[in-house]
Amino acid sequence: MSNKETALVKPLPIPDGDSEVFWKALKTNKLLLQNCIDCGHIQYYQQAICRLCQSKNLEHLQASGRGTIHSYSVVYRAPSAAFKEDVPYAVLLVDLEEGPRMISKLVGNMIDQLDFDKAVRLKVVQVSDDVYLPCFELDKE
Amino acid sequence: MANSRSLRGAVAIVGVGQSPSGRVPGRSPLDLTAEATLNALTDAGMDKTEIDGVLTGNAYASSFHRFSIALSEYLNIQPSFSNTLQVSGATAGAAVNMAAAAIHGGLANTVVVACGDSLLTGMTPDRAIRAMSEGRDQQYEMPFGIPVANTFAMTAHRHMKEFGTTAEQMARVAVTFRDHARRTPGAQKTEPITIDDVLNSKMVTSPYHQLDCSLISDGAAALILTSAEKAKDFAKEPIYILGAGEHYTHEHIFLMPELTQTGAVQAARQAYKMAGVSANNIDIAGIYDCFTGTVLMMLEDLGFCAKGESGPFVEAGEISYGGCIPTNTHGGMLSYAHPGIPAAWFHFVEVVRQLRGNCGQRQVAEAELGLVHTLGAGFSTQATTVLGKASTL
Repeated sequence: MSNKETALVKPLPIPDGDSEVFWKALKTNKLLLQNCIDCGHIQYYQQAICRLCQSKNLEHLQASGRGTIHSYSVVYRAPSAAFKEDVPYAVLLVDLEEGPRMISKLVGNMIDQLDFDKAVRLKVVQVSDDVYLPCFELDKE
Repeated sequence: MANSRSLRGAVAIVGVGQSPSGRVPGRSPLDLTAEATLNALTDAGMDKTEIDGVLTGNAYASSFHRFSIALSEYLNIQPSFSNTLQVSGATAGAAVNMAAAAIHGGLANTVVVACGDSLLTGMTPDRAIRAMSEGRDQQYEMPFGIPVANTFAMTAHRHMKEFGTTAEQMARVAVTFRDHARRTPGAQKTEPITIDDVLNSKMVTSPYHQLDCSLISDGAAALILTSAEKAKDFAKEPIYILGAGEHYTHEHIFLMPELTQTGAVQAARQAYKMAGVSANNIDIAGIYDCFTGTVLMMLEDLGFCAKGESGPFVEAGEISYGGCIPTNTHGGMLSYAHPGIPAAWFHFVEVVRQLRGNCGQRQVAEAELGLVHTLGAGFSTQATTVLGKASTL
């Protein structure tokens, strides 16, 4: 059994047919949303159809990267051994300027300055040779 | 007007059983679940040949994907209705509701609804916590390092922000259920705790401290359901299913419609409507208590108090003896046992025993109408069941 080994590896996304473009765009610092050309709904995460009207007529929309913190939780007990060296770290629910909400992680050592509704800005972080994660930092302005 | 599509009074729980719970080393999930099932059969005064339906959840410490089929083989039962359900913490309620519907709809006559696991001694704590997180999205959630507690923590945190709910009020839930567990034989944790003990325990994921979080346990429980007509043939007083409702709002926590109001509102509304009752008729509740703040939000969404008022409600002693709605009188997942998916089966066992009136020193006086609400996966899954004595039919 490789329980110990797998516990030391952080879960990394394995892109599928829906999400390949999303993960590829992050390598060039772009966070992609989807805009429904038929009904105008903007959604996060990537699907083949609009969640509101089921249209397939979707286009990619690059997020501005600006958002606010809807809620957050600072993790002290790591979910697996792979995260033990990272604690404490803050998991965020970010409301993006364009509307959708997403889950992410705070970068920068500013946990004590976290608060609801605070402005955050996208900070793409490389976590492996191939994978870049859309994280956020507190907006200094 | 009788509604043939309503379950009200059509099906009853006639047997409940459990295995030892807490720390139970050297026992496989199937062994524990089989013991609980045999105890439920004994409780009902029933032979296993009566069973033609088997529903279970899955066990993390077992490799069987078809746990219900493996359990049937273990007991040498060949059912004509069976499934292994997975809606996280709501599996207990969903399984009871589905068993009732199957009996009412003629798919089975008598169904055992069972679940067991050995999260505590069958796995390391890291493996157990990881197993519970692994079912979440590996693309848009898990890479950010989200423990299973985290989604619930973010909803509780937002509740604090919107309604001024305090850490002390959440801690009060843990203290109350610990006090309940002290009266319950077999409870895993019985040493008294104070609000300060909760607040001073290690932070897990803010705002939740260790004592705001459910235990990790081994254990199993089983329920036997049959039609109301057949129910009278067995040893114990039948406890009837009066109403059932479920609601499933999202998979990802970021698509939860509102962080401080859950699908329990709709699940309970459907169950109350079917039962023809409202929250203030309920005498006793079993509420899924994976975390303290979860109970607060459920008290609101199930209609026991108004939105935002659960903190003061709990502080006033309303979820214990003499209060509006004595809840988790066995001690819940916070103090009785939390073997994972089976945890909420114990809520059913307790509410049935309370309604039968044989809970001894922890009996809630004149309990006739009960509610069990189970939920899971960051409030994604919600299942309500209203139960009652014959006097409530």
